[in-house]
Amino acid sequence: MSNIPDAAAATDVLARSLTERKTARQERWRLLRRRPGFLVGVFIVAFWVFCAIVGDRITPYDPFTDRDSDCGLRPPCPPSGAHWFGTDQIGRDILSRVMMGARDLLLVAPIAAVLAVITGSILGMVMGYYRGWVDNILSRVVEAFLALPVVMVGILVLTLSRESSLLKAISFDSRNILIIYVVALLFTPIVARTVRSTVLGERDLDYVVSAKLRGESNLFIMTREILPNISGPIIVELTVRIGYSIFTVATLSFLGVGIQRPSPDWGLAISESRDLLNADQWWPVTFPALAIATLVIAVNLIADSIQAVYER
Amino acid sequence: MWRYVVKRVLLSIVTLWLLATIVFVMTWALPSDSARLILGAQAPEASVEAFRVKFGLNDGFFAQYGRLLKGLVTFDFGVSWKYPTQEVWPYLAKPLEKTAKLAVLAMIITAPISVGAGLLAAKFRDRKLDRGIVLVGLAASSIPEFVTGALLAVGLGLKLDLFEPVYSTRAEELSIIGQLPYLMLPALALALAYFGYIARMMRAGTIRALDSDYVRTATMKGLSSSQVMRRHVLRNAAAPTITVMSVQIGYLVSGIIGVEVVFNYPGFSRVLLDAAVDGDLPVLQVAVIVSALIYMVATLIADLVIAWLNPRARLDLASA
Repeated sequence: MSNIPDAAAATDVLARSLTERKTARQERWRLLRRRPGFLVGVFIVAFWVFCAIVGDRITPYDPFTDRDSDCGLRPPCPPSGAHWFGTDQIGRDILSRVMMGARDLLLVAPIAAVLAVITGSILGMVMGYYRGWVDNILSRVVEAFLALPVVMVGILVLTLSRESSLLKAISFDSRNILIIYVVALLFTPIVARTVRSTVLGERDLDYVVSAKLRGESNLFIMTREILPNISGPIIVELTVRIGYSIFTVATLSFLGVGIQRPSPDWGLAISESRDLLNADQWWPVTFPALAIATLVIAVNLIADSIQAVYER
Repeated sequence: MWRYVVKRVLLSIVTLWLLATIVFVMTWALPSDSARLILGAQAPEASVEAFRVKFGLNDGFFAQYGRLLKGLVTFDFGVSWKYPTQEVWPYLAKPLEKTAKLAVLAMIITAPISVGAGLLAAKFRDRKLDRGIVLVGLAASSIPEFVTGALLAVGLGLKLDLFEPVYSTRAEELSIIGQLPYLMLPALALALAYFGYIARMMRAGTIRALDSDYVRTATMKGLSSSQVMRRHVLRNAAAPTITVMSVQIGYLVSGIIGVEVVFNYPGFSRVLLDAAVDGDLPVLQVAVIVSALIYMVATLIADLVIAWLNPRARLDLASA
């Protein structure tokens, strides 16, 4: 009998906290839409995503076909009416290649970031929740990992696996999957560290203590109690990580160990034509470089805005 | 203070051991056929096998792992597999020196400008100047270094003809001043990347200090604003900035790779990439471990400098 009002009150509290969460979400969204940096960022990213999806259906030329040089010289031909961005060293239209150049990058980098945030969050929650020797050992390993320069370990793993008998059968498409795994592995420790310190701030709060007193399992407390409460920092971490992931994948491709030919990837294009700078031929390097610059700035503008709104 | 120093150094050694283990396990788990790669596809199987025996490629996990650890302790890593007349450490030290030259030049350019920009931004908080500095900083630090380098080479190198767009070994016969036109663009590319991080930290640290009680007290006590700045704000804003700068020194080694490749600069990146392609494992492992070591030493020094600058941090450290 006396149970009934209690239950009603409990449902009421639950309903109220759910609506609070909803209004908080709406409020954040409203604030986000007001930030010019966010809007500019979304617009630029949407543009590149559109180009990547539509690809060679809208490019003026076929991005993969070598063409006879239109300028009457040996390619590369400088920008002209026919080729706005000029052609590259084997006569392919640079505008077409730049438009399609985000396809692999925008697939590989975000997936790697998402994967890193998932594994890093699991690791970080376990470390922060259990503490003790699990945390001590894992924290040391995380710290050791963080001291390793990301790009160097990327070079090491990607070149060794290129020649490895273990992965010798790897074709072009699964190369991208390998990059995803490597970048995800490299970013997992830093995500784990962030999530761990957030969980440390939560684990002694009343709602966790009362869940423990209720006799909930550790798994339930981690996934159903703590996780919803740290979703903010995790979302921020994800957007920041996507930015770094694009940065890293582009750098690895430029160094020749990332995305491979014949992809029109921007980093790869810069590495293939950087020697032309010696011959005063600036366009094959400049346009892919500008494309990378716009994309990473846009992603960072979005990440920055989301961070500002969540940490208000 | 001394207890803290000893503790930090001991922990660093543990971290060094762990990261050496990580690097070793990675090279072990991805067995590339180094002997075949180095000797070439045409080499007879007998000489490839002789190579494997000579350098202990057929040894078990612990034998090879032990050799690496022993090398770390004695600082004698044996010889390069690709160039057996070269010992690993001197072979790496020369290019590392060249890389350090670039890094130092980049820091000399970037440190005063970034600290100044951060202070200005904090002083004119939320005004146009602040917004501008923050935006430039965000852009500068989010663009990969090799992209900044490529754009600088085109803009300042080819179009404006201010500096040499590509490094040339001819520069090495010149005096340090004569080398500057060759070093300037790669150093600028790095400097721009660090500008963003340093200016942002300096701005945040200064704003925190400006809003604090002790600055208000100092102002009300009648100190002039320049005295408040020097004695109270700068000292407190310096700590996070020094941390960031030290972390950047570590990243310098990583970010510098792309820049060196863009400008054809014969630094650390070239030996690293060559060793990776050839499967020259001793050189590769030591190169990665040494760059991690540089990062660790830089952060350690930064923490000690902060402790020395700020008595409160010293207290926190003693209890840590």
